[in-house]
Amino acid sequence: METGFITAFWFIIISALTVPLMLGVGYLLRPKGKDTRRKMTSYECGEEPIGSAWIKFNIRFYIVAIVFIIFDVEMAAIFPAATIFKESIANGTVGLVFGEIFLFVALLLIGLIYCWVRGDLEWVKGVTKFAPNK
Amino acid sequence: MVQSAQFAHSLEGWFGFLPLWGWAAVSALLVIYMLALPFGGLATYIERKIAADIQDRIGPNRVGPIGIFQFAADAIKMLSKEDFVPKGGDRFLFNLAPLFVVVGSCTAFAVLPLSKYLIGADVNIGVVFILAVTTLIAPGLLLGSWASENKWSLLGGLRAASQIVSYEIPVALSILPVVLISGSLQIGQIVEQQGWTVFGENPATYHFWNAFHNPFTFFSMFLLFVGGLAETNRIPFDLPEAESELVSGFNTEFSGMRFGLYALGEFCDVFVMSAMVTALYLGGWHIPFLDIEKLGFALPTGLVAFIQFHMFMIKTLLVVFVVMWLRWTLPRLRVDQLMGMCWKGLLPLAFFNVLGTAVWMWVFKGQSLMQLLAGHG
Amino acid sequence: MNKVLLLAEILTVASAFVVGLHPNILYASVFLLFTFCGVAVMFLYAGADFLAGAQVIIYVGGVTILILFAIMLTQWLYKIKLADIRNKMLLPGFLAIAVGTFLYRALHQMVAVLPPQTPEALEKFTSTPKTALIGQALLGGYLLPFEAITILLLGAMVGAVWLARPE
Repeated sequence: METGFITAFWFIIISALTVPLMLGVGYLLRPKGKDTRRKMTSYECGEEPIGSAWIKFNIRFYIVAIVFIIFDVEMAAIFPAATIFKESIANGTVGLVFGEIFLFVALLLIGLIYCWVRGDLEWVKGVTKFAPNK
Repeated sequence: MVQSAQFAHSLEGWFGFLPLWGWAAVSALLVIYMLALPFGGLATYIERKIAADIQDRIGPNRVGPIGIFQFAADAIKMLSKEDFVPKGGDRFLFNLAPLFVVVGSCTAFAVLPLSKYLIGADVNIGVVFILAVTTLIAPGLLLGSWASENKWSLLGGLRAASQIVSYEIPVALSILPVVLISGSLQIGQIVEQQGWTVFGENPATYHFWNAFHNPFTFFSMFLLFVGGLAETNRIPFDLPEAESELVSGFNTEFSGMRFGLYALGEFCDVFVMSAMVTALYLGGWHIPFLDIEKLGFALPTGLVAFIQFHMFMIKTLLVVFVVMWLRWTLPRLRVDQLMGMCWKGLLPLAFFNVLGTAVWMWVFKGQSLMQLLAGHG
Repeated sequence: MNKVLLLAEILTVASAFVVGLHPNILYASVFLLFTFCGVAVMFLYAGADFLAGAQVIIYVGGVTILILFAIMLTQWLYKIKLADIRNKMLLPGFLAIAVGTFLYRALHQMVAVLPPQTPEALEKFTSTPKTALIGQALLGGYLLPFEAITILLLGAMVGAVWLARPE
C-alpha cells in the first residue's frame, strides 16, 4: 500500500474529528432552551404540519438510481482501459483498444437511447410518445 | 513502498524529526486547517462581496477592514445558536449527516496538486480517489433530510441525492479524456505532463494544458465545469436548497453549527471541483510557457513549491470566482430540466468527447495541438 | 499487525453485525455503508487500489443510495421490524453457521496451499499500481468477459426500467 494512503487516512480522521469538535464548541457556547411544543414541530412555512412526513412513492428516483449504477459500473470498467490507451499507441495496438472501448460505449449508448425513446428518463409523467399504457 | 505522500516527504526532507506518518498527520492538519476550513469560511464572505458587486451595492464592510472578518462573526453567531433535533427526528442520523458531507469534501483535499512537492497523497488512483470521496456527500444529504422528519426536507434531500448521483457520470466521463491523454490516473503525473516551456527542450510526453490539447478536451473542460456545478448544488442546479421552492430544501431543520458544517462542506466541495478543473485541464501549478525548474540555475525547492502553489491557487480561485459569478447571473433550472439535461444532454456529449479524444489520439499519435504546431513550424 | 487494517476489519465485521441484527432497516443500510467502506480499506491493504476506489464509487455512491431511496420512499418497508421475524431464526441461524464454517475452512485450505511470501515481496506486490495491469488484462486475455459485461449491463438496464414501468 502506498504511503499516500496514510496521508489520506489522516485526512479522513482529522476531518471526521473536526465535526464533533465544532459541534462541541457550539454545545459549550449556546443556550440550552426548553423543549417547547411549538419549537419542536417541523417547519411548513408557519402552518401546522399536515399529514405525516411520508411522501408518495415516486418511481423516477429509483429509475435514476438504477440507470446510474449501470453507467457507474461501465465507468469503472472503462477507466483501466483508458489508462493503457496511451501506451497502446506506442505499441501499435491502438486500433484494437479503440475498437473495444468504442464497442463498450456504443452498447451502453444503445441502452440509453432505448430508455430515452421509451420515456423512462422523463421526470414528468405523460409527456412521452412511445410509452405504453400511459 | 511507493513514495506518494509528497507533502509529508517534502516536510520530512525539510525538517525531519518526525517519522513519515507523523509528517503525514502534520500535512493533513496543515491542509485542512489552513486551506480547506479557512476557504470554507472566507468563501461565504467572498460570495457576499461578489454578489454585492454584481448587484451594485457594497456588501459586508463593518466587521474588520473591508468586512473581511464577517465570516468569523458568522461563525460565532452560528456556534451560539440553539441546536435541537425536531420532534420525531432521528438523533443519530441527524448527527451523522454533516459528518459525511465534511469528510467527503475535506478528504478530497488530500490529492489536490497544490505544488509538485505539496501533494498530500499523490496516489496512483488519484482521479478515482476524488470521485470516490466526493461520492460520500450524497448519503450525507439524504440521511440528513430524512432525519429532519419534514416532508419538504425529504423531498429536497431525495432531489439532491438523485442530482448528485446523476451528474457523477458526466463528470467521470469528462475526466476520461484527460486519462486517455495522460495514460495515468495519478494527478501529479497528469499535471506534470501539462508543462510546456518555450525556453528549452520539452520531453516527448509534455503537451500544453489539457484544455488546449484538442477541441474535444476543450469542450470536456466545460462539461466538467457544468457537472461540477451540479455536483455541488450550485446555481443553476441548486434546486435542492432552493429558497422559494422547498423552504430551505434539505437543510431546513438544521440550525446553528450543523448548518454551518453543511455550508462549509459545500464550499469545500466547490473548491475541490474547481481544483479538479484546474489540475486536469488548466495546467495545475504550471506557469504558462515557462518551467521554473529548467531555468538554467537551480532554485530551492521551497521557493519552487511556493511559486507553484500560488499559481495553482490563482487558477483555482479564478474558477471559483466564475462559479460564484454564475450564481448571481443565471436562473435556476427546474427539476425535470435538470434531469433531462444530464441524461439527454451532458451524457451523450460526454461520450462524444471521449470517443472524439480517442480518435484524435489515434490519428495524431497522441500529440496535442501545441506539439503539432511546434513540430510543423 | 497493522493498526489501520485491524481497525478496518473491526469496522467491517461490527457493521455487518449491526446490518444483520438492527431492528430499524434504515440504520441497517447506514451500517451497510460503513461495511462497504471497511471492505474498501481492506482492498487497499491487499494491494487492489483501483478496486478500492471502484468499490466506494459503485457501492457507497450507488447501491447504498439505491437502497436508501427504496427505504425512504416505501412506507411499509420501513415498518418491518426484526421483532416480527425473531421467532423464525432457527433455519437461517443454522445456515449462517454452516456457511461460516465452510468459508473459514476453505480460506484456511487456500492459504495453506499458497507458497510462503517474504514481507518484502508482499510489500512490493501491494504497493505496485494495479490500474494499468487491470487495463491490460481487460483488453488482452479477458477481452471476452469485458464485452460480456457490456451485454450484461445492457440487459440489466433494460430489464430494470421495464420492471419499474408504472403498469
